Amino acid sequence: MKIKRPYRFILIVILITGFAGLIAAIYLFNLRNKDLLKEKPNFIITAEELRKEFESDENASTLKFVNKIVEVTGVISSVEKGENNSLNIALSTGSSLSSVICTFPGITDNPGLVAGQTVTLRGECSGFLLDVLLNNCVLISK
Amino acid sequence: MKRLIFVVIITGLFIQASGQKYITKNGYIGFFSHTPVEDIKGDNNQVASVLDISSGEIVFQVLIKSFRFEKALMEEHFNENYLESEKFPKATFTGKIVNPSAVSFSTPGVYEVEVEGDLNIHGVAKKVKEKGTIEVAKGNISGNSKFSIIPEDYNIKIPNVVRNNIAKTIEVTVNIKYPTSGNQ
Repeated sequence: MKIKRPYRFILIVILITGFAGLIAAIYLFNLRNKDLLKEKPNFIITAEELRKEFESDENASTLKFVNKIVEVTGVISSVEKGENNSLNIALSTGSSLSSVICTFPGITDNPGLVAGQTVTLRGECSGFLLDVLLNNCVLISK
Repeated sequence: MKRLIFVVIITGLFIQASGQKYITKNGYIGFFSHTPVEDIKGDNNQVASVLDISSGEIVFQVLIKSFRFEKALMEEHFNENYLESEKFPKATFTGKIVNPSAVSFSTPGVYEVEVEGDLNIHGVAKKVKEKGTIEVAKGNISGNSKFSIIPEDYNIKIPNVVRNNIAKTIEVTVNIKYPTSGNQ
């Protein structure tokens, strides 16, 4: 069967659009979490300032920082290994109650981080529980 | 004999002086949903928990936002559509070990326990009673449990389109290690 020219053109456009849509859908469906080494931070701040912001106004700070990429500098107060090869680095904030906890997911080796070191880490802010929590962290400098 | 009594008294004083509450902010809670269509796993390594070994009271707190998924889209749906983490940022459990006398917190070993209390997810509080274990080891005490929850119980609505992608009951794993010595 012969399809008339204008119809053939429309058919091809529909097929191409559909195909592109399908590829986009598959891509979106399989999209992994961001690699923060390649992302620009939304905020550059010290651990102490970050804790103070949350303590002075938790709601405003939640709106400001949650889901944002925060680059934080501070002194490591503890290094804890967790489930699934995660690593939690706590940064001192000048308060004995709250620190900034940065979780490195699925890290097989501790990248040489020890208590007492001053480091800069980049992570995605999850909010404030008892501490300011950052997730998907990467090491920027030590 | 005198010496033994002395040691017992000193040990007793030491335990009291060192406090009977153990805290961690590095606990783990994860969940798993299995269907023939796909497996979905969420991991949270930022669980805050307090265990009072004298009363058996136990508290867990998590930020919903702290759950991590393999795929970015799962994380987005979980936060925005199902758990509504902006509206309900935290999930908590407050309860008690039903049989605290079954655990000797000074003797290393694994003890079967039952924990009862209020589980609050998505703004809905439910009474739950689940089995678990307490493991006493040198330098730490661990609390472990595996149980199931039904999203509908917590008013979590799953749209029909993805109904087949998400299991009717979700398996929850709790692994919390409380350091008992050294800095926390």
